[in-house]
Formats: sequence, structure tokens, C-alpha cells
Amino acid sequence: MIAAILDGLVLGLQYGLLGVGLTLIYGLTGVLNLAHGQIAVLSAVVVSLTMAGGVPAIPAVLVGLLFAGLLLLVVDLTMMRAVYRLDGEPRILLGLLLMLGVAFVIDGLLEWRYPIEQLRLSIGGDPIPILGVSMSTGSLLASAVAIVAGALLIAFFRYTSLGRAVRSVIQDEQGAQLCGINPSSVRTFVFGLSGALACLVAVTRAMTSPIGASNTISFTVLALIVAVVGGLGRVSGALAAGVLLGLVDRLSSFYIGTYITTIILLAAAALTIVARPHGLLSRRPA
Amino acid sequence: MAPLLQITGLSAGYAGEDVVHEAALAVDEGEAVTIIGSNGAGKTTLFRAAVGLLRPSGGTVGFDGEDLTSLPAHRIARLGLAYVPAERHLFPEMTVTENLLLGAFPGRPDPAKQAMVFDLFPRLAERRSQLAATMSGGEQQMLAVGRALMSGPRMLMLDEPTTGLAPVLAKEAYRALAQLRDDGLTLLVAEQQVPLALELASRGYVLEDGRIELAGTSEELAGNPEVQRAYLGVA
Repeated sequence: MIAAILDGLVLGLQYGLLGVGLTLIYGLTGVLNLAHGQIAVLSAVVVSLTMAGGVPAIPAVLVGLLFAGLLLLVVDLTMMRAVYRLDGEPRILLGLLLMLGVAFVIDGLLEWRYPIEQLRLSIGGDPIPILGVSMSTGSLLASAVAIVAGALLIAFFRYTSLGRAVRSVIQDEQGAQLCGINPSSVRTFVFGLSGALACLVAVTRAMTSPIGASNTISFTVLALIVAVVGGLGRVSGALAAGVLLGLVDRLSSFYIGTYITTIILLAAAALTIVARPHGLLSRRPA
Repeated sequence: MAPLLQITGLSAGYAGEDVVHEAALAVDEGEAVTIIGSNGAGKTTLFRAAVGLLRPSGGTVGFDGEDLTSLPAHRIARLGLAYVPAERHLFPEMTVTENLLLGAFPGRPDPAKQAMVFDLFPRLAERRSQLAATMSGGEQQMLAVGRALMSGPRMLMLDEPTTGLAPVLAKEAYRALAQLRDDGLTLLVAEQQVPLALELASRGYVLEDGRIELAGTSEELAGNPEVQRAYLGVA
């Protein structure tokens, strides 16, 4: 039981980061990035290949972060231009279709060239007992990275002028323009940030289990569920939802079975939409 | 001396159909000017085209010797032409303070300017950690003006600042605008509440069906029989 809770927290912190990347782009542009998990895995493969080339782990991870950030940044600067010219439903649909296309291309590439390539980051050291449960150093390091990243993100959006500018465009794009903020630069920045976050999650997941081509879809689906439960466009909502869903995930597979976890997670997301359409932490009346 | 804001032959509208037709107006530095017109006369369209939120179909907008006509809205805002729309466009889930800080973007927020805003609107100081969405209409209007002032603009354009305000609050809003005018800020105010607007401004334009039909000093407009009949409720 305690082991399941601790495992849930470790997993949940990473789910949170996964959801943040998706929720930021959706809140800002209305584009649902259905390639989020694919980009995470592709960048993990890049890290793995870089390490196979003899580069130490930390610089290799930096290469992966940069790769994923630049990849989404280029998506924003090229294909998404057509999306931004539209409004309302057509915008959401075109964004969805284009990102689905990106997901297929990456899945295809992984299947074709790197079907068995996996990123594994074995963190040495003996397991450390916490509350009587022995936790692997990999889990603890993954959690520490996720906590630091989450705290940095929250501080960035709350206390820096660029972070406030991002929130302002999410809340009222015209109001932001009237304050001298260029929504299109904010979008490009957030696409890059979201890509780097996707890679970071793949890297921390790789500290406990290998990450490869078979993980793409489950990452995308998880990001989607976390973002919906957290409230689309909300950073702290996504982080909280991630932790909650991580706990639900581990506890349900502990008590019921792994086969049912995804269904329970989807049900949790559906329930949240019904009960709180704007997300768990919403201060807005439903 | 060239006017601070000079609009010539400006046409603009939506979906290829012009709402404003060849409007021309000029505002000198330090002047307070009003555009009066009824609902749907084209005041908002004219303002949106002037500040870059809407691409004009013809004409030019000059500000301080620069051609604004092809500039995006955020560049125009940074040049010192601030716009307070009737719908205010505040950031609903941010506090009063955060809204004001964003008004100073991309510069560092100037404590002196924030003190000036709190001086002008003491209510905002009392509610500085309240979310914008939870404030009353009058407070939101104060915040919209305060946010626009944080960048230290050279000119303030306001679209119907009394929208949705009770008469007492509308008068209060205009008292604040009069103080800004007396401090030397250049103002252009679009308004349906004609008596308040003519009291604030020294000159005005009358916009009807997207055309500027009349221009004159506030006294001339207040004395014009057509203005009296259409906007001042004089039979």
C-alpha cells in the first residue's frame, strides 16, 4: 500500500510534467498536440543514440532537450502558421489533424529505423529505504528532477515577466497585444519549452524503465488525460492532476490490476470534465 | 507643430465590407478630443484599425511622425499609443498587481508609475491581490486604464469607458480622465454619453454610419441643434 503510494507519487510527478507541455500549447493556441508522446520518445532515442556515440549521459540529455525543443519550434514556425490564420472550430480541427500527422510520421520513423532502440539510464547505488519501502535511486532521482522542474516552472510563470506574458496570452490575447506582447513570439517560445519538457519526462522515465517506440501512444494519451483533468491551459492544475492520476494509476493496478488502469484514468478524466469543466483547481465558476 | 495622432482617409471593416469610410481626424499633443456617435456608428472599428487590431482597407495612421498603418498591435502599444477597449480585455485570472505589471511589459515595472495609478484609483490599491475577474465593472474599468498607464504612454485612446457603469461610476471615471488631461496626457475618447465627453474634451468629432459628419469645439457641438436632438436629449 505505502509502496503503491510512493510509486504513484514518483509516476505522478512525471505525468504532471507530461501534461504541462500539452496544456500550455493547447491553452495558447487551441492546438491539441497529439504528437507529444511521439516527440518525447523520439528525443529519448536521440539521447540513446548520442550516448551510443560515446557522449556522456548529461550532455546527451542536453542534446535531446535541444532536439525536442527545436523540433516543436520548427513545427510552430512552419505548419502551424496555417492553423493560426483560422479561428474557432476549423482552427482546432486543423491543429488536431496536423499534429496527428506529425505523430504518424514519428511513429513510422521509429518503427522503420529504430524499432528496438531504447533509452535506459541506469542510476547506480543501492536502494534507499523510505517509510519502510526500499526505493531505487533511479526513482528518487527521477522524482527529484521532476519536482525541481515543476517548481521552476511554477516560479517562472508566477514571478518572471516572460512567464506572466505567456499567461497573459492564454487569458486574453488581445489584452496581451495591447500591453506590447507579441503573441506569435510567445507561441514559438512555448512550443520550444513544451518539446524540451516532453524530452525531460522521457529521460526521467528512462531512469526506472526503458523507453522506446512502444511508449509513444501511451505517453500522448497520458498527457491528454492529465491536461484535461488539470484544466486546459493551467500549469499548476496539470502538475496537481499528474500527481493525483499517478496515485490513481498505481493504486488501481495494486488493488485491481494493470489491465484496468487506463480505463480508470480515462474515467477519472471524464468525471472531471463533468464535475469541473475548467479543471480541478479552477477558480472560475463552471 | 504636427499633430501627435493623424488619421487620414481611414477605411476599415470586416469580411471585405467597410464599416468606417475615409475617416480623417487629428489630435495635438496635450489635447483631449472626443468622438461621439451612437451604437454601431463605427467608433470601435475606427479605434481598432488605428491601433493595429484590425487591418485598415485604406488610409493612413500617423503617430508622432511614424506611420503605424502596417504595424501589428503590440508594436503600436510599445510606441506609446495606449488603447483601452470597451470590453477592457483584462487578464481575468490574474491579480490587480499582475495586470498592472503586464502593462509595463517589456520594461521593468516602475514603482513611481504604480504609485501614480494607485493615487488615481485608490480602490485598486485596496484590491491589489484580488483577481480581475472578481471585480465590479467600475473597478475593472479603473484597472484597464491603470494597466494602460503603466507603460507611460504618450496618448490614451478609450472606447466608451462608461460601458456598463452606473451614472455615479461613469462620472467618477470621467473625473479620473479629467485629472489625466490636466496632467498633460493626450486623450481620445469615443463615447455615447455625450454630455460627459463634451465636458472632458475641448474638441470633438461626430461619427455617423462610419463617416465623420461634423467636427468642432465642444461648445460648438453642444450648441448644434442636430447634436442636441440626437445625443443630448433636447427636443
